[in-house]
Amino acid sequence: MKPTRSWVPYAFLLPAFAIFGFAVLVPMVLTVYYSTLEWDGYGEKKFVGVANFVELAHDSLMRASFWHVLLYIAATLVLEVAVGLLLAGLATAGRGTRLWFRTAVFTPVMLPMVVVALLWGFIYNPDFGLVNAALRGLGLDSFAHAWLGEKQTALWAICLVSGWAFAGFFMTIFAAALASLPAEVLEAARLEGASEWRLFWAVKLPMIRGSVEVAVLLCVTGGFQGFDLFYVLTNGGPYHSTEIPTTYLVREVFTNSNVGYGSAMAVVLTVIVVALGWSFGRLRARREVV
Amino acid sequence: MNVNSVPNQQQHRAARTLRPRRWGAVVATLALSLGVLTACGGNGGGSGSDGGDKVLRLAMGSPGKAQMRVWESIADQFEKQNSGWTVEINFMDDDQYQTVGLPNLLKGRQAPDLYFEWVGDRLATRVEDGFAADLTPYLDTTFKGIWNPSLFDKAAVDGKVALIPHMADVTTVLWYNKSLFADNGLTPPATMDELIGECATFDKAGVPMIALGNKDLWPAGNFFSMIASRVVGPELYDSTMRGETSFDDPQWRAAFEQIKAIADAGCVNDSASAINDNEGAQLFFQGKAATHPIGSWLVSWAVDEAPKLDFDFVNIPAVTDGAGDQTSVMGVMTGYVINEHSTHKDQAAAFMALANSPENVDAFIGAEAVPLALSAADNPAIDDRTARLNDLLATAGTIISPPDTGYDIERADALYQAISQVLGGEATPEKAVDMLVEETS
Repeated sequence: MKPTRSWVPYAFLLPAFAIFGFAVLVPMVLTVYYSTLEWDGYGEKKFVGVANFVELAHDSLMRASFWHVLLYIAATLVLEVAVGLLLAGLATAGRGTRLWFRTAVFTPVMLPMVVVALLWGFIYNPDFGLVNAALRGLGLDSFAHAWLGEKQTALWAICLVSGWAFAGFFMTIFAAALASLPAEVLEAARLEGASEWRLFWAVKLPMIRGSVEVAVLLCVTGGFQGFDLFYVLTNGGPYHSTEIPTTYLVREVFTNSNVGYGSAMAVVLTVIVVALGWSFGRLRARREVV
Repeated sequence: MNVNSVPNQQQHRAARTLRPRRWGAVVATLALSLGVLTACGGNGGGSGSDGGDKVLRLAMGSPGKAQMRVWESIADQFEKQNSGWTVEINFMDDDQYQTVGLPNLLKGRQAPDLYFEWVGDRLATRVEDGFAADLTPYLDTTFKGIWNPSLFDKAAVDGKVALIPHMADVTTVLWYNKSLFADNGLTPPATMDELIGECATFDKAGVPMIALGNKDLWPAGNFFSMIASRVVGPELYDSTMRGETSFDDPQWRAAFEQIKAIADAGCVNDSASAINDNEGAQLFFQGKAATHPIGSWLVSWAVDEAPKLDFDFVNIPAVTDGAGDQTSVMGVMTGYVINEHSTHKDQAAAFMALANSPENVDAFIGAEAVPLALSAADNPAIDDRTARLNDLLATAGTIISPPDTGYDIERADALYQAISQVLGGEATPEKAVDMLVEETS
């Protein structure tokens, strides 16, 4: 049915535009504007052009924070996506254990990340925590560490928590994709004598390639957005060894009141994440055409 | 091709004629959307209470359950005395209040009429940003006779009184477990050499000498800044923290050598960089560390959470060959600021006068906190340790300001980072100073 007046469709779009403008457009425009200022958030605004971006380019801590987030993403690709895929394979291969298995693995996903971080903060506590208590109980005192307080272990300790929390999420995505595979294809492979492992690796996995690609994209872009685990568990420490762009950004804006510099960081981070998403989409599209 | 070209041309023509109308509609939609947004955010960023309401809003960190009960009682009293008025108190986690919390509240539409603040650079920033009312008119009226007038001099910025004094905190002393010291035949250290010597004894006993929870950097930052001030002297400490002199100074290198000596002697718990200030205090409360360097607020905290702990304090030990006054005290006056944007300034002033009435001052003392109000002097109910802390501050020849409240926060953060790196063995004193110089120049 065609509308009688041409403006009617636009009137229906108005609420969406308003929400989009309020939640995305205006903050983005303002962030770009703020990135050209030297401003503490309240006082006088001083226009500095691209000076914040120039300073950012020479900021070794910013470079280190990007390196840390790349390491985090690499680790979570294994601990979240690969482990999630493995768990999905297990969840869909066995019989009778699917429900409790999926529930057990998915439960951490339902917990707020701050709760997860606090929980693991207790587990990692060097004085009272479960990990060190277990190690000492087993006579492995020399393996006990201040897991979140040592430069060598802190980032990996956070990656492990992230894997624990999100592997179930990716398992669910993959399990849904695996469940939708045509039964006759799988049956044919079995009739050909394929083992469960061979079936998973050579038949199922190629058929859910689209889901794997989406999971990788979610993991990579989500990694850049990571904040809560880092903030609660280490707040960027010790000695900046878990500093990632978001924790650095929050410190600059809210602790040091450098709204302009923090906004420049936000702009750079946004550009990188959008560019990654766009490139990923282009690559997928090109491959599909080929 | 030709057959198809006619409809294509028609479509293009149609598109050309439709395009202006369509774009007009899109622009109108966007304009309306922005109009809606503008209407929604018309008062965004404004501060202060709406003039029409009768709500007095107060914001502060978390002074502990006992003191929070006193504040709530004062709010009840105020509401009873002022019919139709409501008092809303926003208690916030201390770290959050100091960083994200207060700035967010001040920019909100229901900004606090009264808020907690520290004297020093933070207060000056509030004045500069227009969030602190000039309280001078109240000194001879609402506030008359409640406080010693000299206190207002310390609360003034550019000649205008910006803060209602409430308490004075010694922010760093060395709290010690009396039983642990007695059991090991030791006395609290008077010098830094004694402190380092005693670390070995406690290490043999299986407890660290000093418990610190330094995840957020300020606990070790404050303690070792105080030690640094003992080495470099109060004047150089102050001028460097103000940015008037550089950290590139032999005295500052000596200060970091002192920090390294304490770290090398194994005085501090291994977990320091992994745990927060609460967890650090718990080590002390549970007898798992001999001392804990923190401020006067530990008294009410320990009374609440470790009532059986037998503890006392000494001032931060002197440094042999240190510069300047070795009996200086790190402390700061705290109080409440009336928001310049508040439409309830008179009520806010009246509320603070009520909070410092003799009855409420007694209630605060009962909660192990001693207000600066005149009526608190010589109150027999004051905890002996708190009374001695107040004396320590009152009689100190030199007051050292904590870096994070007394000075520029970025400079303080750089110093705290450098201290944590030396403490954790991540940087040599030389490298720490070089980093500081680079970050603060």
